[in-house]
Amino acid sequence: MIAELSFGVAAAVMVGFMVVSVLRLAIGPTAADRAVAMDTINTLVVTTMVLLGAAFGQVVLVDVAIVYALLSFISTLYIARYLEKGAR
Amino acid sequence: MSVWAALQVMTLVLIVVGAALAVRLKDLLAAVIALAAASLLLSLAFYLLQAPDVAIAEAGIGAALTTAIYVLAIRKTHRKEEE
Repeated sequence: MIAELSFGVAAAVMVGFMVVSVLRLAIGPTAADRAVAMDTINTLVVTTMVLLGAAFGQVVLVDVAIVYALLSFISTLYIARYLEKGAR
Repeated sequence: MSVWAALQVMTLVLIVVGAALAVRLKDLLAAVIALAAASLLLSLAFYLLQAPDVAIAEAGIGAALTTAIYVLAIRKTHRKEEE
């Protein structure tokens, strides 16, 4: 009970960090700022999923976080390639 | 309000903010990034609703595939939206 609650509070803190990252996503002047903010949100979502998997006590939920970490890498890769090369 | 309800409410508010940004931004690359962030948070919302398989599908299609296709489309066309 106490362990579940502490994991839940930690996940809530991570979502609070996501609020700050979304703020940067909103006001970021350049596209690179926004890309870094999105990547930070990626990492925070993976962290939250692992924490919630620990809170719910199910190992299969951690696998979702692993797959998610692999897939979220691709979008950052494409945006970074566009920012490096431009339109060409 | 329990911790889980607070988590869901915060996640849903962030989804709405990301979707509004995706609509409002004039720089299309920034709009695509905001859409990707909203999609990521939607995946987290599915996860919080105890649907991990839907969360995996949303992560694969929404975060990875949609963003890649939109960035490829922006590369072929214009980046700024005309007024």
